[in-house]
Amino acid sequence: MNSAIKLTHISKEYILHHEKPTLVEKFVSGKEEKFVALSHINLTIFKGQRVGIVGANGSGKTTLLKIITGITRPSSGVRKAYGRLISLIDLDAGFQEDLTGEQNIYLNGMLLGMKKQEINRHIESIIAYADIKQFIDAPLYTYSQGMKLRLGVSIAINTDPDILIFDEGLGVGDKQFNKRLRHTLKTSFRDKTIIIATHDLELIKYQCNRILIMEHGKILHDGGPRTLKLYAA
Amino acid sequence: MNTDVQQYLDLLWGMTEKELRVRYKYTFFGFLWIVVNPLLQMFLIGFLLSLFIKQSSEQYYFHLYTSLLVWNFFSLSLVKATPSIVAERFLIKKSMFPRSVIPLSIVLSNVIHLLLGMGLFGIVMMILKMMPGGSLLYILFGLCLLIIFTCGFCLLTSALNVRFRDIKFIIEALLVLWFYATPVIYTFSLIPQKYIWIWRLNPMTSIMQLFQYGFINAPPPGPAMLSINLIIIVIVAFAGIRVFRSESSNFDDWV
Repeated sequence: MNSAIKLTHISKEYILHHEKPTLVEKFVSGKEEKFVALSHINLTIFKGQRVGIVGANGSGKTTLLKIITGITRPSSGVRKAYGRLISLIDLDAGFQEDLTGEQNIYLNGMLLGMKKQEINRHIESIIAYADIKQFIDAPLYTYSQGMKLRLGVSIAINTDPDILIFDEGLGVGDKQFNKRLRHTLKTSFRDKTIIIATHDLELIKYQCNRILIMEHGKILHDGGPRTLKLYAA
Repeated sequence: MNTDVQQYLDLLWGMTEKELRVRYKYTFFGFLWIVVNPLLQMFLIGFLLSLFIKQSSEQYYFHLYTSLLVWNFFSLSLVKATPSIVAERFLIKKSMFPRSVIPLSIVLSNVIHLLLGMGLFGIVMMILKMMPGGSLLYILFGLCLLIIFTCGFCLLTSALNVRFRDIKFIIEALLVLWFYATPVIYTFSLIPQKYIWIWRLNPMTSIMQLFQYGFINAPPPGPAMLSINLIIIVIVAFAGIRVFRSESSNFDDWV
């Protein structure tokens, strides 16, 4: 099988800030407190796998996702990702309230790594999937929170991603939209790699075929759907 | 074209459009504000100085307008770009796009302002037949240096400001001093010879002089001034790119 993500010996330490860093602090004190968020993670995720990551708050789930997406650089170790990777973290970040829905689609799409031409090709399906056709020329501040999130999801899944990453589950939009999203993941994204970090065990049971249980910055268990029992217990 | 380059340019232009759209949304005068601002400053400074110094002539007002247009571009770009990475922290945490589009789109949106402001002014100057022969070349050369210097400096300060938030305040204070260290409200000919080395260390001197020659036929920068200024511009630009590159992968840890 081809790998989609390959992490070798990844560690991530954060320097603890008690206050905002200043120039003086840097040169005078020189003493830094460190917090280890991930330690020596080795992980290969293969193409088409659907990985659910569970673990208590602070166990390193989000940091692991950030390393996988490349948003954060590891303190040590090597990260390799193959194919276009889209994260559905902070869906409405990057939206501009004063711009119209359509202008926001272009801006957000480009921030997610699409070219303008690609967006031209996909814009119809983005609007249709988000179900906001009649509001597309209205400025975003007239949108409800649900509409913005729907638009965010719709842009992300229409970018032709090879790897999709969700933080804190799929709790997006109303029941109907959520159902549509779950359905899409099961059908159109059947062959794609999906990584979900969540506390929602039902969702993982339904979507995932590989489970990672994290604790204190380490992967404690790694296995098939049955592994979930070890976490629930 | 290479797809990475195409994608970078698309994104840079998209962010620039956003800058411009958001700035002038719901304003009545819109882009007219580009011209109104330096005009107001020009009349105010010109009038005030005419009370003290018998220098006031048409030529001086034109000198002021040219210089203020260039200076406002530089100072506005720096003031807005320096804290820009921190201001766009939500974007940084959202996806892995090339971070440099954040400060560079701010500079680029100001470049568009500058070009519009200069275009209008250029038309007036051409009608008045003030512009010397070959002036377009000087203006273009000045524009290149100005853009390279501003981009380099903004990359440097925006990257450093992520870790050291004092940079923003240092820049604001520095710009006040820098304004007086650049021939904006005075002409280059007023600088005493024995202090000229101070202006040689300030790349904005040559840049100002190139524009002042191009628009109002003031003396162009001399070879010593231009070459020292050029070296500094190149150093700043390279330092900006290097520092931004090495810092940008750590931005997420600090915002």
